[in-house]
Amino acid sequence: MRGLTFALSMVAALSAPAWAQESKYYELAKGDYPHDVAVGPKGEVWFAGQKAGIAGRLDADSGRIERIALGKNAAPHGVIVGPDGAPWFTDGGQNAIVRVDPASKEVKVWPLPPERMPYTNLNTAAFDGRGRIWFTGQNGVYGRLDPRTGDMKVWDAPRGRGPYGITATPAGDVWFVSLAGNYLANVDLETGAATVYEPPTKEQGARRVWSDSKGRLWISEWNSGNVGLYDPAAKRWKEWKLPGASPRTYAVWVDPDDKVWLTDWSVNAVVRFDPESETFTSFPSDRPGANVRQLLGRKGEAWIAESGTERIRVIRAP
Amino acid sequence: MRSKARIVLGALIAALGTALLAAVCHAEEGDAVRGERAFQRCFACHTVDPDEPAKLQGPNLSRIIGRPAAQLAGFAYSEAMRTAAAAGLVWDAATLDRYLADPDAVVAGTAMSIPPVRDPQERADLVAYLARSGRDRP
Repeated sequence: MRGLTFALSMVAALSAPAWAQESKYYELAKGDYPHDVAVGPKGEVWFAGQKAGIAGRLDADSGRIERIALGKNAAPHGVIVGPDGAPWFTDGGQNAIVRVDPASKEVKVWPLPPERMPYTNLNTAAFDGRGRIWFTGQNGVYGRLDPRTGDMKVWDAPRGRGPYGITATPAGDVWFVSLAGNYLANVDLETGAATVYEPPTKEQGARRVWSDSKGRLWISEWNSGNVGLYDPAAKRWKEWKLPGASPRTYAVWVDPDDKVWLTDWSVNAVVRFDPESETFTSFPSDRPGANVRQLLGRKGEAWIAESGTERIRVIRAP
Repeated sequence: MRSKARIVLGALIAALGTALLAAVCHAEEGDAVRGERAFQRCFACHTVDPDEPAKLQGPNLSRIIGRPAAQLAGFAYSEAMRTAAAAGLVWDAATLDRYLADPDAVVAGTAMSIPPVRDPQERADLVAYLARSGRDRP
């Protein structure tokens, strides 16, 4: 009996994860292809259904999914929840910024000026501290929209094609990264001028960026397989290689406790990095080919868009 | 009765042949000039310049037509693309057309996430442009 108790306790110890967590998966309609995901103020989950051209709204409790058409030719890439509690989409298909009213589901579309570049390959967006939404276009632009006036400005990015992830710090500063340009950039909120910051690793493929609570920028480096950190106050860089032989770091999100969540395509897993202990914890998907392009959440919850399996996953803290 | 069936069958074959011919002709109607503009969809990750210095996320598409999948030396193809290549995928007008319309339907799990090119004419234009790419080089 004593031996059995010991054996059972060993099984429990061996199977206990480093961070007690619960994963749940939500199946989406085939063809929805969730590219990005975001969480609203009431815990509602929005996703960008790129292939179907829809905004998806998932009720996490009931599992009910509402699908809202964004317009002819819509193909949303990114989604964030704005300070107004509404989901805002960067819609490559319509070459437009798109807002869905969370109550009425009304869709409002702000097209980019076509004469500048008919197709900018819109990527992601972030709000500054002044109610304006900034966005990147992977074909080589970044821009700013003031939704109150409709005023939109678009600028050429340094080194042309490549602008990808974008983020705002708690102070409202806006930074973006360039995947093909291999840099981090800070924008002047009024003039729009971009100042380039070079990561230590050359041709690292800076794909996405997220700010922590202190305004430090965390970067997922696709080519190098690193997670990078730039501290604007200290003007210092630091990089860590993800575990494994040849990691491919795609997405990054920093949770309210300043833990850094990443996705690594080479091991089909979500990876959490603890900056204090400098350790990684892996949360593999339960299906191959998850192809997670983005994740985002709130305290205690990381929401994950599995584009490859067409599912939304949540990892919950206790 | 039998001859009537033959006539119907013959008419069906003729109709099918006409439809196939129309499809082929349609595929040949791609316009490389329009395709160059449509290539803006691909531009962020691909180039058709054989001397492109930038390290892009997608492989160089110069002289893509007729090339077996996952064949460019030095490019880190996804496992999904390598698997498709091992199964014999070759890039020609037909496979490119289907891939542009729905990449995952041709290469399940592909890393490419292009918004679907829903317009057949735009796909034909893109293929025409790609067919022209690199042909001015020896």
